[in-house]
Amino acid sequence: MRRHTSIRPKWRVLSSQMTGWSMSDTVVYGDHVNKYTLLPYIIVTLMVGFMTIIFWKVGYAFTLVNLALLYLLPVIVSSVRWGLAPSFYAAAIGVTAFDYFFVPPIHRFTVLDIRYVVSFGVYLAVAIFTAGLAARLRQRVRELSEREAITSALYTLSIQVAAGRDLDTVLGEIVRHASDTFGLPAAILLPDAAGHLTVRAEEGLQSHGDAPIPESRIVDWVYRHGRIAGYGTNQNRDSTFLYVPLKTESNVHGVMCIGQQQSPNVNVGTARMRIVQALAGLAAVCIARIRFEEEAKIAHLSAESERLRTALLHSISHELRTPLATILGAVTGMTESGDILSPDDRRELLSTIREGALRMNRLVTNLLGMVRMESGMLQLNKRWCDVSDIVGVALRQIGDALQHRTMEVNIPDNLPAIAVDEILIEQVLVNLLSNAIKYSPDGSLIRLDCMEYDGIMTLCIRDEGMGIREDEAEKIFEKFYRSDTDTSVPGTGLGLAICKGIVEAHGGEIFARPAEPQGTMITIRLPVGD
Amino acid sequence: MMGAKILIIDDESQIRKLLRVTLEAHGFTIYEESTGRDGILQASMIRPDLIILDLGLPDMNGLDALIKIREWAEMPILVLTVLEDENGKVFALDHGADDYITKPFGMGELMARIRVALRHSARRPDEPVIQIGSLTMDLARRHVEKNGTPVKLTPIEYDLLKALATHAGRVITHRQLLKQVWGEQNLEAAGHYLRVYIGHLRKKVEDNPANPSFIVTEPGVGYRLVTPN
Repeated sequence: MRRHTSIRPKWRVLSSQMTGWSMSDTVVYGDHVNKYTLLPYIIVTLMVGFMTIIFWKVGYAFTLVNLALLYLLPVIVSSVRWGLAPSFYAAAIGVTAFDYFFVPPIHRFTVLDIRYVVSFGVYLAVAIFTAGLAARLRQRVRELSEREAITSALYTLSIQVAAGRDLDTVLGEIVRHASDTFGLPAAILLPDAAGHLTVRAEEGLQSHGDAPIPESRIVDWVYRHGRIAGYGTNQNRDSTFLYVPLKTESNVHGVMCIGQQQSPNVNVGTARMRIVQALAGLAAVCIARIRFEEEAKIAHLSAESERLRTALLHSISHELRTPLATILGAVTGMTESGDILSPDDRRELLSTIREGALRMNRLVTNLLGMVRMESGMLQLNKRWCDVSDIVGVALRQIGDALQHRTMEVNIPDNLPAIAVDEILIEQVLVNLLSNAIKYSPDGSLIRLDCMEYDGIMTLCIRDEGMGIREDEAEKIFEKFYRSDTDTSVPGTGLGLAICKGIVEAHGGEIFARPAEPQGTMITIRLPVGD
Repeated sequence: MMGAKILIIDDESQIRKLLRVTLEAHGFTIYEESTGRDGILQASMIRPDLIILDLGLPDMNGLDALIKIREWAEMPILVLTVLEDENGKVFALDHGADDYITKPFGMGELMARIRVALRHSARRPDEPVIQIGSLTMDLARRHVEKNGTPVKLTPIEYDLLKALATHAGRVITHRQLLKQVWGEQNLEAAGHYLRVYIGHLRKKVEDNPANPSFIVTEPGVGYRLVTPN
C-alpha cells in the first residue's frame, strides 16, 4: 500500500510533462509514450516482487552480491523498454526490497554493516547510469525513426511535385501536405501581375468562418527581407501565423504561411521548424523550376518565330519576285518591242505571264492556308463524301500540268463514304499531286491508290521522281523546309506543312518514305467516321 | 446573242477594266458600277441581259445587293467570289444567283459561264430533247441515250439527270437538286442519298466514273453538268 501512494505523484508529474511536449507536435510525433503511463510501473513492481519471492525461497543459494546484481535486471529492462522514469522506479524498489528482505537485520530497513550502504550507493549509481544510457538510446532511435518518416514523406512529396508541370497543382500539393502534417491551415502567397502578394494555394484557411488570415504587412516584410517571421521566431512572435519565405539562392519567390490553433506561446519544436523549412525550400525550388521552364518555352517560341519570319521573308522575296519578274519582263517586252515579235514569240511570252501568275496564285493560296492554320481559323466543314469524287476534283484541278506523265488511279468500287472537309482534302491531294509532278520527269508514272480497312481510309501517292532520303522523311512536313537536293525546283516549303496540318485536323496522319525502286511515296491515313 | 448588255458591279477598277476590254472585244455592251447601291439603280434603269456581281463590295454586302435585284429582275446574275468563301457561294446560288466564278479566273472560263447563262435565259422552257455531248435526253419519252445506246435509269436517277440537264453548264447546289428530285423532304437525311445516286448515275453515263467529265463535283457547293463547247 505504501508503495502505491508513494509513486502516484511521481507518475502525475511525468504524465503532464509528456502531454505538454506531445501537444505541440501532436500529429508529427505519435503519442505512443502515453499508452504505457501506468503499465510499466505495475510490471516493474511485479518483476521485483516475483524476483524477491524466488530469492526468498532459494535465497541462500545466492550470495548477497549476486542478488544485488540480479536486482539490476528490472532496471535495465524498464530503461530499454519504457525510458528513464520507470527505470528509476525499478532501481528504487529494487534497493528497498534488497535491503528489507536480504540485508541483515532482515525485515528491517536499518543496516547493521556500514559497508552495505556503500553497496546500495554503487547499486543505485550503476542503475541510474545504465538507465540513463538506455533511455537516451531509446530516445535517439525514436527520433531517428520519426525523422525518417518525415524524410520519406518529404521525399514522396518531392517526387510528386517534381513531376508536376502546372504551378497551381504543385503548390496545392505542397500546401495540402503541410496542412496534413501539422493539422493546421496553410497557404502559399505569390506576387501577382501587379506585384501584390496574393494567395495562390491554401488548405483549411477559409474553413472556419472568422478565422484569422495571414497579415499582408508581415507577408510583405517576409517577402522583402527573405526572413522567417511569426510565432516561434524573433519577428512578430505574437502573430497567429508562421511566415516562411520561399527562397532560392537568387531570390524570394513568395511566402508560405502556417496557421496556429493553440495559444501563440506554445513552443515550436525544432523538428517541426525543419519540416516547415524543408517544405518552403521545396516550394521555392518548384516555383523556380516552373518559372524557368516557362521562360525557356517563351525563349524557344520566340526563336522559332524568328526562324519562321526569316524563312517567310526569304520565301516571299524569292517565290513572289521570280514570277513577278517574268511577268513584268514579258509584258514590257511585248509593249515596247511589239512590232518585232512574231506571233509565236508573243504566244511564248503570254504563256510565261500565265505561268508566273499561276505560280504567284499558288503561293498566295498556300500562305493564306498557312496563316489560317497558324491562327487557329481552320474550321472543318465535315460532310460525307466519296473519295473518288474528291480525287476526281483534284485531278481536274491538276489538269494539264501532268503533261506526258501517266496518272494511274486505283479506287475500289466498294469504298465507304468518308466524313471530311472535301475542299481541304482536295487541297491536300492537289498539293501532293503537284509535288509528284514537280519532282518527277516527264513521261513517268504517278499512282494513286486508295483502300479502306477497319475504319481507316488510306491514300497512297507514289511517283518515280527524284525521291527523298530516309532522314528527311519527317522534315519535309516542316514549314519552309526545302530538301537540299532540289534547289533547282521552285517552291516555298509550305505545301506539305499545310497537308500535314489539314490531315491532322481530321484526326489522321501523313507520312513519306522512299518508294521502290525510285521516287517518293506519300501515305495519308484518315478515319472514316465523324 | 452578241451585243447583249452586261452590267459589271465590282469595286476593283482593275477587274472592271479587264472585263470591259475583253468582253467588249467579244461584242458585248458593257456598263460598270463600283458600288452596290449604284449597281442596283443602274440595273433597274438599263435592264441588262446579264449582271456580273462581286460579292465583296465596299458599301454593302454583295449578297444583299443580289437579293435586292432578284426582287424584281429575272436576268441571269453571275457572282464573283474568293476561293475560301464556300458558304457565300452556296447562299448566293440558293438566293437567285445563276452561277459563280472564283477569283482569280481565266477568261475562257468566264466566257463559257456567260454564254451558258445567256443561252438559258433565251431558251424556250419546253424543249423536248436535250443534247449534251454524246448524251441525248428525250424528256417527252423519258428516254436517255449515250452514243446511240439506250441507258437504263431508275426513276430517281432519271429525275436527277433531268435536273442537271435542264441546268446544263450551270452549277446546281445540293439543296436545289434535293428539292427538285425529292421535293420538300428532310434535306439533311436526303443528302446522303444524293451522293449515292450521283455515284450510280456516273457509273451509267460517264466513260470513266473515277474522273468524271459530265457530272463534275463543285466542292462544297454542288454539281455541274459540263457541256462540251
